[in-house]
Amino acid sequence: MPDNSSKRVLIIDDAALVRAYYRAALEAHGFVVGEALNGLEGLEKLLLEPFDLVIADINMPQMDGITFLRTLRSKELPVSSIPVLVTSTEAGPHDIAAARGAGANYYLVKPIKQETLAEYAAIFCGRPR
Amino acid sequence: MTDPPQMTEDEFRRLAEFLYRRTGMVFTESKRYYVERRVWERIDATSSLSFSVYFAHLRSEVRDEVEQLINAFTVNETYFYREDHQLACLTTDLLRERVATKRPGDPIRIWSAPCSTGEEPYSIAIWLLENWKDVDTYDIEIVGSDIDTCVLEAAAVGIFGKRALMRLSPEVIARYFHALDDERWQILDDLRQSVRFTRVNLIETKETRPQGRFDVIFCRNVLIYFDDESRRIAAENLYDNLLPGGFICLGHTESMSRISPLFEVCRYSEAIVYRRPEELRRAR
Repeated sequence: MPDNSSKRVLIIDDAALVRAYYRAALEAHGFVVGEALNGLEGLEKLLLEPFDLVIADINMPQMDGITFLRTLRSKELPVSSIPVLVTSTEAGPHDIAAARGAGANYYLVKPIKQETLAEYAAIFCGRPR
Repeated sequence: MTDPPQMTEDEFRRLAEFLYRRTGMVFTESKRYYVERRVWERIDATSSLSFSVYFAHLRSEVRDEVEQLINAFTVNETYFYREDHQLACLTTDLLRERVATKRPGDPIRIWSAPCSTGEEPYSIAIWLLENWKDVDTYDIEIVGSDIDTCVLEAAAVGIFGKRALMRLSPEVIARYFHALDDERWQILDDLRQSVRFTRVNLIETKETRPQGRFDVIFCRNVLIYFDDESRRIAAENLYDNLLPGGFICLGHTESMSRISPLFEVCRYSEAIVYRRPEELRRAR
């Protein structure tokens, strides 16, 4: 197992089961996991605690993933450049373009295998394999 | 108590009738000991001087006494992954059929009724996480309901003992629970948040209807406590709570065919379940 033990990942998804599924995938590979239920909560968490990567859903109540990305990237804070991996059931080219345009580093379409998620998390945390 | 109040035949009959009207459960003379024990408990707890005083107190509907008595009467005996062949059927057959007409991101609604202290709805959540590759593709909602508000409170807290977890592997326990001490484990917050708990009496249409329509309903080992009439009402309510093409899973000793003609039987390799037909419209 690669050493991801000091790497912290923030999962932003409104579905508790999805958070549990992603958390299990990441913790099995040594990541430390934080959670937020929507974009607004995600922004708050990022200001309070250090993270190395954000995994964010698109369709969420209160603040969706695209708005979250735009808001995050528009701030002039060190945390604004954190890598963001978007995961969504929206699979159209315009959805991917919208996420990229808002500042996503990469886009994965759900369903995502736990192994795949952990691999991408390792890459974006600076551990290419 | 030094002088336990005795119930006359007439008192027993009045109480049984009261319970029947409120819960649909039938208590005959053969259950007299069972009934009396629980009623004495409540007479003691409310410091009533006699059965008739207690019965008046009960019927005056003060301080949730009806609820307390119903709680004392309901049987709460279950554990994680009970009848797991039905859970296997859920992921290999039922959900596969349900998602055939859905798009990614669409809701999938599952109802566990009655859910007792939460073992069944949490089992469904864990089973989906462990065995269903599309768990992040659909908006899964799991509802747990029971007539007993005490068990619902316990379910929401999600603390379980060894016996409840006996069918789970140590790996699964380590993944989804944290140990409070040597005897008790609490389910992870994510899983607690993934199930919504609510009080529902299955024979009260005004309580079942607001739950909306589901893709799959687990209704195991409760209809056996009802008499024919209540069982039929419950079955009709559950039918209304199913999406067309939705499934209902009963306990392995139960048969819907004997209760209601509304459903069609579906045989899968792991289980027999019942389905609300796709096209049938009920004449009202």
